[in-house]
Amino acid sequence: MKSMHFLALLACAIAANVFAADEGGGAPGKSVKDVAKPCEACHAADGNGTATQYPRLAGQYHDYLARAMHEYKTGDRQNAIMAGFVKTLSDADIDALARYFAAMPGKLDDLAHHEQGSD
Amino acid sequence: MPRIACRFALLAAFLFAVSAHAEDDLKAGKELVYTCGGCHGVTGYKNAYPNYHVPRIGGQNYDYLVAALTEYKKGERAHPTMRAQGEGMSDQDIRNIAAYLSSLKP
Repeated sequence: MKSMHFLALLACAIAANVFAADEGGGAPGKSVKDVAKPCEACHAADGNGTATQYPRLAGQYHDYLARAMHEYKTGDRQNAIMAGFVKTLSDADIDALARYFAAMPGKLDDLAHHEQGSD
Repeated sequence: MPRIACRFALLAAFLFAVSAHAEDDLKAGKELVYTCGGCHGVTGYKNAYPNYHVPRIGGQNYDYLVAALTEYKKGERAHPTMRAQGEGMSDQDIRNIAAYLSSLKP
């Protein structure tokens, strides 16, 4: 009986955790997946871009992605399309989106594993 | 007749695209990328003020890399170090760098 209680409690805890992780932030009841929907038109659902003019987001550092979105907002980066999209995002939305795309498996790499310079 | 013209236009566009890309020089790009390694080649390296990771650029998409570097060059992105780097790059340098970086695989 006690173990049943424990299991029920555990299930509740997991469910709460899942909901918390899925929280978009700004708009209550909106999951990060909902907030990410417009991004997918260019950056693709897997975060690797639908065409090569759009950057891969999958596997990028989350704090860099967040920084970039803030820069589009302030105008430190000038891009008409991105400026329009980030305008409606709260700081919490930006953080959630950055973590959402950064956590996806991607093809990005830093240059530490690659030779640079002349042969 | 319009169909043939359309096909010809497509072929011309295709050939142009291929030749434009063929002008990119991977070897020249690799040499230029030596400078990038100072920040982008150190795993976990962070920008100082404000504090955030410098991006992973290996394997990034070609056309986006060209656009991003061109924006730094033209001053449309504020980051001071990257602006300084961009100002020193020709359009061909930028395409060579993008060709090399986009060719990398993890």
